Amino acid sequence: MTVNWVEHTGEVELVIEGPSAPDVLGEAADAIASLLVDHLQGTPSEREIEISASDRPALLVAWLDELVYLAETDGFAPERVVEISCSERSAKATIEGRVGRPTYLIKAVTYHHLAFEPCGDRWKGRVVLDV
Amino acid sequence: MYELVRVAPYVWEIPRDARADMRVPARVLADETLLDAIRSDRSLEQLQNVCTLPGIVDAALAMPDIHQGYGFPVGGVAATEVPDGVVSPGGVGYDINCGVRLLTCPLTEHELGGRREPLVHEISRAIPAGAGKDSFLELSGDTFDAVLREGPRALVRDHGFGTEDDIAHTESQGCLPGAEPRMVSERARTRGSGQLGTLGSGNHFVELQAVDQIFDAETARAFALTKGQVTVLIHSGSRGLGHQVCTDYVKRMDAAMSRYGIVLPDRQLACAPQSSPEGQAYLGALAAAANFAWANRHMIAHAVRGAIARVLGDAAAASTRQLYDVAHNVAKIERHGDRDVCVHRKGATRSLPAGSSDIPEAFSEVGQPLFIPGSMGTSSYVLAGEPGSLELSFGSACHGAGRQMSRTGARKRVTGAHLRHELEQQGIVVRCASNRGLAEEAPFAYKDVERVVNVVHEAGLARRVARLVPLGVVKG
Repeated sequence: MTVNWVEHTGEVELVIEGPSAPDVLGEAADAIASLLVDHLQGTPSEREIEISASDRPALLVAWLDELVYLAETDGFAPERVVEISCSERSAKATIEGRVGRPTYLIKAVTYHHLAFEPCGDRWKGRVVLDV
Repeated sequence: MYELVRVAPYVWEIPRDARADMRVPARVLADETLLDAIRSDRSLEQLQNVCTLPGIVDAALAMPDIHQGYGFPVGGVAATEVPDGVVSPGGVGYDINCGVRLLTCPLTEHELGGRREPLVHEISRAIPAGAGKDSFLELSGDTFDAVLREGPRALVRDHGFGTEDDIAHTESQGCLPGAEPRMVSERARTRGSGQLGTLGSGNHFVELQAVDQIFDAETARAFALTKGQVTVLIHSGSRGLGHQVCTDYVKRMDAAMSRYGIVLPDRQLACAPQSSPEGQAYLGALAAAANFAWANRHMIAHAVRGAIARVLGDAAAASTRQLYDVAHNVAKIERHGDRDVCVHRKGATRSLPAGSSDIPEAFSEVGQPLFIPGSMGTSSYVLAGEPGSLELSFGSACHGAGRQMSRTGARKRVTGAHLRHELEQQGIVVRCASNRGLAEEAPFAYKDVERVVNVVHEAGLARRVARLVPLGVVKG
């Protein structure tokens, strides 16, 4: 897996490459956690996530949107994706994490420069976050 | 690719034929030095993308603080025809009606003296910052709808927070017409329900300042600003509620665009005709979120007055006035020339000159106040709208200094602890829960505010009235 934070003047751009689409989603969850907190702490907890979208790139947005929503409304920061399956337009996952008070906010997940697609024999996701 | 042609001393243009999909030219207000910085990221490519919006009129415009954003560049202005031109949620941004509000206090920096640090500390205790939902006013049901429909007026009338004078000194009297609370999703309400009167994070702040220099004595008198006077500048927006409204409608318009035959170079520009069901629904939700944002800054100002009362006394709090509150992420139907247009301002401030109908009577002879915050450790400016803004930028000016360095770049150059020490050495009291967040907002991450303000002044968008220097800052 590779995770790169691309230089962006105003916001945060994340590029992830991995062996499969679920791996990219899982790594994206870890990246979100690193944006939300300096150190994971709080009460261990688990969340079931089920999302759908109009196409595969929008699925990456919907996945991260859900994590942003859980962080803001429940104080949930993801720690480990226990189980995940996804198709082109839907995904289902069980995530372990911590419920506390995230230090930082992610306002939103954008469609700008968005990609989530096969890249040779690997998968690549790219997304810009409003922070 | 693009070529920039100078068409006036501070106006540069990318001609319409620079790209086949551009419907209008792109214009940038800048000097040569700022232009070099602007060329260093993708903001001009993003501005050209804005030129492709169906129904856009005249030109897509970039203010001197323009920098790379998503969809629209930050510092972008675009007007579209009414009623069938498009409205683009990405052209407003996620933090709907993010804006700034300036309070003026009845004492000087000298009179404040040693109470500076206790006051900054008390403000930091009074205003929840960062993540979380710590508002002392939990909204639900009818009270939530009233705030979405009426903004701060509902807080004055139903709860006794703030004053009618505050409302009179707010852009659009703190209420965009046409708000439709039912167009705001439950998810958005859940995010915003405990957030009224909270600062958020990122570049949001409350700054204690002093008037350092007066440039225009007559206008300063109209604004009741005097040299040495203590002021408080508040920067926040619509919090999670606005973020979710934008998220909901970018998704909805992304799905609807093919139905209207709209093809765009960037999905984040997703849009629909204003007259369409999607456009109408978004305009109703946008107005509701904008009203929520004004209510949020209204409650923050109420908390600031509470802190002033505890540190400086009730009389000082009662005499703390609101000079004005301006939005910088919004879309509004406005009349320009002989037509109505939908003006999208993404990181740009309205700047109306003297004689405009939509400004308080007290400012009718000098123009609307607007504020250009610098960065922590640098000056901020109070300006007054000038007629050039109507000729050049649909009545707009810039909203800040504008970032020039990424957040990761800033963190590589300075630690939060070091920056905190540096600011304190300059006599600036700092309250920020996170060293990482502090480092990301380091002064060098922003353009030179003096240069940005100079372009605004020389181009005739607004004129300098006063300079404010920081005494203390509470960072989100």
